[in-house]
Amino acid sequence: MEERKTEERKTPFLQLVLDDFMLLLFLGVTIYAVSYLIWGLIELAWLSPIPAEIKQELLGGR
Amino acid sequence: MFRTCDITGLKVDLRAERLIQLNAVMAVVSLLIGVIAALLLVLTRWQVVHLLPVDWYYRVLTLHGLNALIFWIVFFEIAGLYFGSTVVLNSRMSSPKFGWLALILMVLGFLLVNFTILSGNADVLMTSYAPLQAHPIYYLGIILFAVGALIGVFLFFANLLIARKERTYGDSLPLFTFGLVAAAIIATLTLATGAIIYIPTLLWSLGIIKSMDAGVYKLVWWGLGHSSQQINVTAMIAVWYLGAFLTVGGASINEKVSRFAFVFYVIGINVASAHHLLVDPGPSPAWKVFNTSYIMYIAVLASMIHAFAVPSAIESAQRRRGFTKGLFDWLKNAPWGNPAFSAVFLSIIIFGFIGGVTGVVNGMEQTNIIVHNTLSIPGHFKGTVVGGTTLAFMGATYYLIPLIFRKKIAFFGLAKIQPWVFGLGIAVLAVSMYILGAFGVPRRHYDITFSGGPFTYTFNPATDFFWVLFAVGGIAAVVGALMWILIVVFSVFFGEPVRGPQDMQLQVASPPPPAKEHGGFEAPGTLTLTLLFMGVFLIFLLLNWGWLAAMWEVR
Amino acid sequence: MALLPPEEGWYFKRVAKDEKMWITLALVVCLILFFWMIVWHIYGKQNPSFTTYRTTPEEFNALTMAFIEKYKTGEMNGIPVVEPPPNSDVFLVGKMWRWEPVLVLRKGQEYRFHISSLDLLHGFSLQPVNMNFMVYPGYDYVLTFKPTSTGEFAIVCNEFCGIGHHMMIGKIIVKE
Repeated sequence: MEERKTEERKTPFLQLVLDDFMLLLFLGVTIYAVSYLIWGLIELAWLSPIPAEIKQELLGGR
Repeated sequence: MFRTCDITGLKVDLRAERLIQLNAVMAVVSLLIGVIAALLLVLTRWQVVHLLPVDWYYRVLTLHGLNALIFWIVFFEIAGLYFGSTVVLNSRMSSPKFGWLALILMVLGFLLVNFTILSGNADVLMTSYAPLQAHPIYYLGIILFAVGALIGVFLFFANLLIARKERTYGDSLPLFTFGLVAAAIIATLTLATGAIIYIPTLLWSLGIIKSMDAGVYKLVWWGLGHSSQQINVTAMIAVWYLGAFLTVGGASINEKVSRFAFVFYVIGINVASAHHLLVDPGPSPAWKVFNTSYIMYIAVLASMIHAFAVPSAIESAQRRRGFTKGLFDWLKNAPWGNPAFSAVFLSIIIFGFIGGVTGVVNGMEQTNIIVHNTLSIPGHFKGTVVGGTTLAFMGATYYLIPLIFRKKIAFFGLAKIQPWVFGLGIAVLAVSMYILGAFGVPRRHYDITFSGGPFTYTFNPATDFFWVLFAVGGIAAVVGALMWILIVVFSVFFGEPVRGPQDMQLQVASPPPPAKEHGGFEAPGTLTLTLLFMGVFLIFLLLNWGWLAAMWEVR
Repeated sequence: MALLPPEEGWYFKRVAKDEKMWITLALVVCLILFFWMIVWHIYGKQNPSFTTYRTTPEEFNALTMAFIEKYKTGEMNGIPVVEPPPNSDVFLVGKMWRWEPVLVLRKGQEYRFHISSLDLLHGFSLQPVNMNFMVYPGYDYVLTFKPTSTGEFAIVCNEFCGIGHHMMIGKIIVKE
């Protein structure tokens, strides 16, 4: 039975990452969720209405 | 429960094999619908014929999108996921019962969606942008399909966990399966997003939710919509490596490089759904630039890495067989008579030179201004998902037929030219669409003479020529696809059985002799091709930015 | 081997010279692409806007009607023709299936367009310049345009908006 870390060389951290598909699943889902979905939705939620000056100019205080 | 393949030596779980076959059959049925729809659409957009009436044009366009872009590909990918997580790993299917549940849900969804479209209850196009609204059953069908597919994806991971626990493959997965892992990760977030958007939309169509914000809908939808295409890219590349291996015994010249490239996909590729919103109100330029760049082009870098790694796998194996003369002896002597090889190689060229070159430019925030919603957009994605993914999947099927269906390929002479007919047809179609779009021709549009409108506009007369090319390319591609469907259906249902290795029409290549130590380049031919690609890419990039600069100013 | 596990010690295999060259080149190009978009926002003259406001079809329609009333100079095929002053707020509305109003602008002058929809998504596609933007109900997309050419321009709708989609075509006239 092979050991993860042999006597000759320790398995590099990055190789362990490459071999750990559950970790990759977590990274893939999380990075996308935060950067695309959550950040995007926050930006939509924070939009402001048309400034009063523009409305005033055209509608004259209605 | 298992049989041992007498051709590859792999252990095949018979329960997985049955599910692979059924998903593959559904894939072909979906493609047939998609292809017939494609023919009708080509003959409508080419207004010399203008075949369909206006309502059927949008209906058939919706039908085409769902069947060609979603059903065909996802059914095929589920089959591939089962194959990659059981057969390739000499391991077993974790739960055939759930596999059957997944299949039933997907077939049910497929039926409900197609029925609602054909009955005129979902004239909303594949994107179904709110406030456009379809019948609730349409959304229900998509949800069922997505849930079924998600179960299939979870089964894939469960199979891997079992194989890892039972140590059927050592420490590191084979590269093909590793590529599928990347695809399955993307599929997970794709389908989860699908649930997040389609469940509220279903409730809205039932009147339970009062309104659906257009901006929120489009943002979230493309988290499903484009990510699903990234699954296709990743799966395609996994199939490229598989093809290189089966046809010439090629292996990635550096597994670490190939694997990191797949990981870059996992990290960076999904955020690029933002490129569908570059000229939309709402999200800020910061969000747009950061996300559309695949996080500083990490995923584009990954694609470019694979662009070298895959052909070099072929070249390296060929060179070791003795084809060392000059730059391209290895390519000239590749097994072009093997339709799987020609399909995979054409897929690489078309995906790279047409899909890839146009894709990066389309996806840059500012140049998107001159392409968005023009015919250039479908022109681009014919190059990626049709000339790339679909063609690669067609190639893989030429091995699927003898190895999983255990049948000989019928009409083998036809099979040898099929990838060329389809590939060249799609290439001509894609390029002509892109050029028409550059002249401003809109996509998803019934009549570019604007009859009935208050004004009119005439596109540059040069477009007449490109419309003819469009029709020629489109019809050729349809013919190529129908050829493939004919071959596949005939082989599977009426073909001669494969009784052993002697009946294999395509070779499963044995590994080439080991590499000799040398100080030179590993794959000079591939390097030449990739440098040529980079040259074409940079020229196209500069042209487009130049055209952009000539436009009106806007900020 | 794509179907076989990788060879022993695969992680430590040296990357081939040519593969390394290619990856380096690709990496440099990729980084340049990213920074290029940012640089263009500073020095380039064509950029999607930073400004979007929330609105409603009722509010936007009222503003557009008021805008039309203020600057109307005539009618064309039943659609009001409007000539707004440079550097002003220009309102353009998309609805099934027309664009209102027809705009008369001057070359080399800036106009702050407010574009929105009263019903579904529409696509603002200015031909033959081929500039394309999306139009949403509930969102006021503020795009500051400066026409750099004169003549008659068509606003084609290039986002599917129902059966009359192909009849949706507007007009912008640019004078010297």
